[in-house]
Amino acid sequence: MKLRDMLRMSASSLWKRKIRTVLTVLGVVIGTASIVVMISLGLGLKRASLEEIEQYGGLTSVTVMEKDAFDMDASDAGGQKKKQATQHLDDKVLDTIRQVDHVEYAYPVLEAEAMILYGGYQCYTTLRGMPAESMEYLKLNLGQGSLPKPGDEQLSLVFGNGIIGDFYNEKTGQSYWSDGKLPDIDLMESPLMYVLDTENYYNFLWGGSGEEGSTAAMPKKYMFPTSGVLAGSVEDYNSNSYAVWCDLEALKKVLKKEFRNRSIPGQPTSASGKPMKEIFYNSIMVGVDDMDHVKEVQNTISQLGYSAESNAEWVESMQGQYQSIQLALGGIGAVSLLVAAIGIANTMMMSIYERTREIGIMKVLGCDMKNIQGMFLLEAGYIGLIGGLIGTGVSYGLSAVINTLMSTEGSGIDLAAASGISYIPGWLSLLAIGFAVIVGMVAGFFPSLRAMRLSPLAAIRNE
Amino acid sequence: MDRAVIAVSDLYKIYRVGENRVRALDGVSFQVRRGEFCSIVGTSGSGKSTLLNMLAGLEKPTKGKIIIAGEHIEKKSENQLVAFRRKHIGFVFQSFNLMPSMNALENVALPLTFQGIDKKKRLEMAAEVLDLVGLSSHKNHKPTQMSGGQQQRVGIARALVVSPEIIFADEPTGNLDSRTSAEVMELIREIITKKNQTLVMVTHDDHLASFADRIFRIMDGRIIGIEETGRRKTT
Ligand SMILES: Nc1ncnc2c1ncn2[C@@H]1O[C@H](COP(=O)(O)OP(=O)(O)OP(=O)(O)O)[C@@H](O)[C@H]1O
Ligand SMILES: [Mg+2]
Repeated sequence: MKLRDMLRMSASSLWKRKIRTVLTVLGVVIGTASIVVMISLGLGLKRASLEEIEQYGGLTSVTVMEKDAFDMDASDAGGQKKKQATQHLDDKVLDTIRQVDHVEYAYPVLEAEAMILYGGYQCYTTLRGMPAESMEYLKLNLGQGSLPKPGDEQLSLVFGNGIIGDFYNEKTGQSYWSDGKLPDIDLMESPLMYVLDTENYYNFLWGGSGEEGSTAAMPKKYMFPTSGVLAGSVEDYNSNSYAVWCDLEALKKVLKKEFRNRSIPGQPTSASGKPMKEIFYNSIMVGVDDMDHVKEVQNTISQLGYSAESNAEWVESMQGQYQSIQLALGGIGAVSLLVAAIGIANTMMMSIYERTREIGIMKVLGCDMKNIQGMFLLEAGYIGLIGGLIGTGVSYGLSAVINTLMSTEGSGIDLAAASGISYIPGWLSLLAIGFAVIVGMVAGFFPSLRAMRLSPLAAIRNE
Repeated sequence: MDRAVIAVSDLYKIYRVGENRVRALDGVSFQVRRGEFCSIVGTSGSGKSTLLNMLAGLEKPTKGKIIIAGEHIEKKSENQLVAFRRKHIGFVFQSFNLMPSMNALENVALPLTFQGIDKKKRLEMAAEVLDLVGLSSHKNHKPTQMSGGQQQRVGIARALVVSPEIIFADEPTGNLDSRTSAEVMELIREIITKKNQTLVMVTHDDHLASFADRIFRIMDGRIIGIEETGRRKTT
């Protein structure tokens, strides 16, 4: 018997019993919709929290730093005390890290303290020098200006949107966070002055002594142009709000000039306290291809002898938490689908009793037992399919309703406001439909077995 | 000389009903030649239907051998029996047993569906057979829109459409009046003679039985006599 004919016969026997079919399908609709909506709530919560983590520095990035001398593994410290020299971060390390599996990109970061001065305001901050060509990985959302161009001789800066709040009045000490008034500075246009030798600047301000005991002189001030400012107000927080970036090479050049023959603050020194020839990086930022590989990459880099940090643990614990919420919610939905499955089994049983004669005739006329079973399985599968399709459609509607209700309420759950508390990804709806079909077929299995085993004699015995 | 297309030897069917044993068939042996039309007559309860059902593989014998078209029926599993019927056997029911939701054409085409024949092809074949039984104008009628005689013609067309070697009919005219019965009998005879098909028919009506080439008389599960009607032209 052809599959097409089996499909046709199953469909027509459902069509013959419209009301019963509709009622049975309704059960599946309710079951599917409740599972999907329940899981969508779990997924929505999870997505919202992942978005939150994303704001705190990304889900796929690993920060590599030198291992602290004190941070040595306990096991190493106990047995062989072969205190390996601290490994500094240089281009060789960078290359090694780039070779690690699943690493998409890696770029170095060199940090330098700086005091920004303008019109009676000052701001103590850290400049983050990184290759201009890598800045795209930061996915910065510029409000004004542009990113520094690779190969620019001139050091130029990109400010986070929160930096303006870090400027404080030299005399009163007030800043935006204390008096609510934004300083009258246009980060793009105002000529900002930078002091890189902050230690001597403080010494100069408060009359301390310089390196060789001499009275500190006012260190050199530089003027660097601003190339861009991030979008957003001073109060919009994300992981980039309080950063100041510049091109790595330009920063290196400026530092070398400022600290000629002296050690650059934050840079390692040789055993005798002499400055080293090379400038080492403070950290290397690593981008991993997928969230699931972050842990692995982190471990590999740790084993190379560096400290590697990421949000992986945070994400893991959060995911564990939401998995259990999802399981609980999905379980509630599953109960209603179970009830629907019993409904399908019942409907199929009834229909087999009614059709004893028909089944018998088909057997006498030479219909294969497998085909008879197949037709009943298909019938149950149809109920599951139709119910699953409609149920998924209904869930999209319910999900939209839940999301609009939650967002207009403006209630405490503002992390959900952005993308909605209920979220149905494509795979969930496909899975739900597939699951409904399988549930239908499983529910229809024993009835179909019964149909297959019915005696053909039943048909011929006169009523 | 015709080879026997049906060979039954020493066939028993014993039903247990509580303590009692009912000997529905009590040692039956006979042969049917290819192309022959046989009728089985007997009083009610004599075991006619039991015999026919066993020949068609709808019921298992207690003891004995049944060879149909060269194959041992009594040894087959239910699934093999279904396949065997699909290939070799047509069945006409007393109570027509048409599918109520299908029209005449679809009913006749149903056994072809089980053989995996394309829709277009099987509807063509069904239409041909319906023409043969004189129901050209009733192809789209549902069973409830036809008379008993017309329904039985559809039933006969359904048995014939697969061109079976052997056709079994259990009181095919049991629900029809005597005139219609005679018409239907003439029709069956004509068609099977043309195609040299074998027909075994159960009836309790001596007149209808006389349409056959041979008549088996059965009583209390035994064959008590075989009559040649002389209808068949011997060559
Ligand atoms: N399933 C069964 N269980 C027990 N006894 C049965 C069963 N089927 C048939 N019998 C018995 O077997 C005997 C033969 O029955 P069968 O149906 O073959 O009679 P029949 O010749 O076809 O009669 P009728 O002309 O009334 O149709 C009867 O005595 C009947 O009671
Ligand atoms: Mg009978």
